[in-house]
Amino acid sequence: MSRPAPSPHLLRYRTLNTARRGPWFGSVAIARSSLQLLAGRKMFWTLYIFSLLIFLLYFFGQYLQVFLEQRVSESLVRTGGVFGRTIRPDFFVNMLRDTLRMNGTADTYGDFMWTEGYIVMVLLAFAGSAIVGNDFRFNSLPFYLSKPIGRRHYLVGKALAIAVLVNAMTTIPGLCLYVEYGFIDTWEYYKNSTRLLFGILAYGAALTITLTLLLLVTATWLRRTVPLIMVWTAAFVMSRLVQRWLVDGLGLSPRWRLLDIWNDMYLFGQWCFGTNHLLLRPGNQIQPEYREATAVIVVVCLVCVWYLSRRVRAVEVVQ
Amino acid sequence: MKDDGQPVLLFEQVSKWYGPVIGLNQVTLELRRGITGLVGANGSGKSTLLRLATGQLKPTLGRVTVRGVDAWEWRAKALVGYCPDNDAFYEDMPGREFVAAMARLCGFEKAEALRRTEAVLERVGMADRADRKIGGYSKGMRQRIKLAQALLNDPQMLVLDEPLSGIDPIGRQEMLELFRGLAAEGKCLLVSSHELEELEKLTDHVAILTRGRIAAVGTVTQIRDMLDDQPLSVRIDVHDPRRLATLLVNRLEVVGVELEPKVLANGTHESLIVRARNPRRFFEDFGKLVVSEELDVARLEPLDDTAHAVLGYLLGGSGKT
Repeated sequence: MSRPAPSPHLLRYRTLNTARRGPWFGSVAIARSSLQLLAGRKMFWTLYIFSLLIFLLYFFGQYLQVFLEQRVSESLVRTGGVFGRTIRPDFFVNMLRDTLRMNGTADTYGDFMWTEGYIVMVLLAFAGSAIVGNDFRFNSLPFYLSKPIGRRHYLVGKALAIAVLVNAMTTIPGLCLYVEYGFIDTWEYYKNSTRLLFGILAYGAALTITLTLLLLVTATWLRRTVPLIMVWTAAFVMSRLVQRWLVDGLGLSPRWRLLDIWNDMYLFGQWCFGTNHLLLRPGNQIQPEYREATAVIVVVCLVCVWYLSRRVRAVEVVQ
Repeated sequence: MKDDGQPVLLFEQVSKWYGPVIGLNQVTLELRRGITGLVGANGSGKSTLLRLATGQLKPTLGRVTVRGVDAWEWRAKALVGYCPDNDAFYEDMPGREFVAAMARLCGFEKAEALRRTEAVLERVGMADRADRKIGGYSKGMRQRIKLAQALLNDPQMLVLDEPLSGIDPIGRQEMLELFRGLAAEGKCLLVSSHELEELEKLTDHVAILTRGRIAAVGTVTQIRDMLDDQPLSVRIDVHDPRRLATLLVNRLEVVGVELEPKVLANGTHESLIVRARNPRRFFEDFGKLVVSEELDVARLEPLDDTAHAVLGYLLGGSGKT
């Protein structure tokens, strides 16, 4: 430090009360810095590009389905060297509409958010330690908690960062698809499909709240990336395999599918979309009732809140 | 900075329990402007006290206030700057970005946050190095960044936990100057440090903590004066030590007189070591004695009124913290 000592008046700022906002503004600052931190990692952008590819598949898939259905009247279309030089448009229409369900229905948005959710899940597993775990692992909390915020504001800030991630990859693209389909179909679509709009928002909210709470819990508990990924994988992948083995393999009650929290969120989403329970896909799997899946999500969220409230109090203990 | 007579930091009969373990036991402490050193052995409750002062912990019993506001409240935290001991940052973040993020956390608008970030970085001497990632910083640079984030809100009270740890000697001098400058501005600084020599250069006002209790608060001299059971040792270089010893030995305050073991070539002793209770009265009487007896005193040196010695007496050990 070779420079001359600066003037002692350098830090004479204006009156404190007029210069600053309340502690909730601090939560936004925490969320922002967490996202900045994540944005500096290549892993984040790699997974985000994957998520974007899924969105683009649905975006152009919907457009293609409507285009082929309405504009292409020929039974065969020449495609040069691709697909044996000619294709049948009705084959693609059927595939897009009936198999991939890219037709602006509850299945479109449900399937899209389900698929995006997998990328979100992997992203959160990697991001958990960076966003939350490291603060506990390296004992960085004093930096936050000595500032004019409380523990509540800290957790809300972190939750906000996770919520932004989840919504940026599920709800917002889902809404984009909804808006797009209205444009390529008719304006009547918006009028007749308000339930779908509600479904997108409600399914997005369920994903956001549940994943945020689960990530906060696992990240504050495990702190390091590798154990976090292992537990996260067990929670979302192993539980799926186990429920399938129990119900489809051993023939136990479909209620065992409730072990799969990912499936529970999907069922809740379909409930919000207004899908008939009997028409749930795949048709060969009997699913538990919507209300049962919802109850499981609520219980999981309550347990997470209970753990976090205990955890927040435990921060007091000087280690 | 105005001083309306209200203490900046006030602990009122504060106790803090961690389950069955007591961290702080009925502590009453009042700090005003200026620098106060906080010393104590490991596990004496320093960290607990600092965390209570910065509102990171709630007291189990009693009350901690900053300018009359409960330290737990965000309004009180807005008056406090805290430089923690640990330096676990976001290693991937440049220092400037980290400080700016902390400024936003204080509730400042973007423009104001950036302005304050530049001001504090300039003040701690990191303005030209703050664009590097924190992961590449030396220990001293990390200390400076920590200090910078503590200064962001122009705090009335600055709590510094081991602020000189890892800083080179030149950097230490600069930091000490900075702390003195902040104290001169009317801020209250509470400095916890194991490095008593450095702490003594900074302040002679200390709070000594032992086993969760405040053992003493005041200047080192004041505390030393109160230690009646530990007489002060004073070395006196005088022309005729034996005569002085005879004169002193009858004084009530003097509990022991000892000729310096070192003997000069001519067989005489060079100096005398006197152990005296109530040092203030001893020095007053000694002054009168020197004048009345026309003693030729070359040097007078208290041997155990340093913070280290005082701490040693209070903690019943070597004084090592």
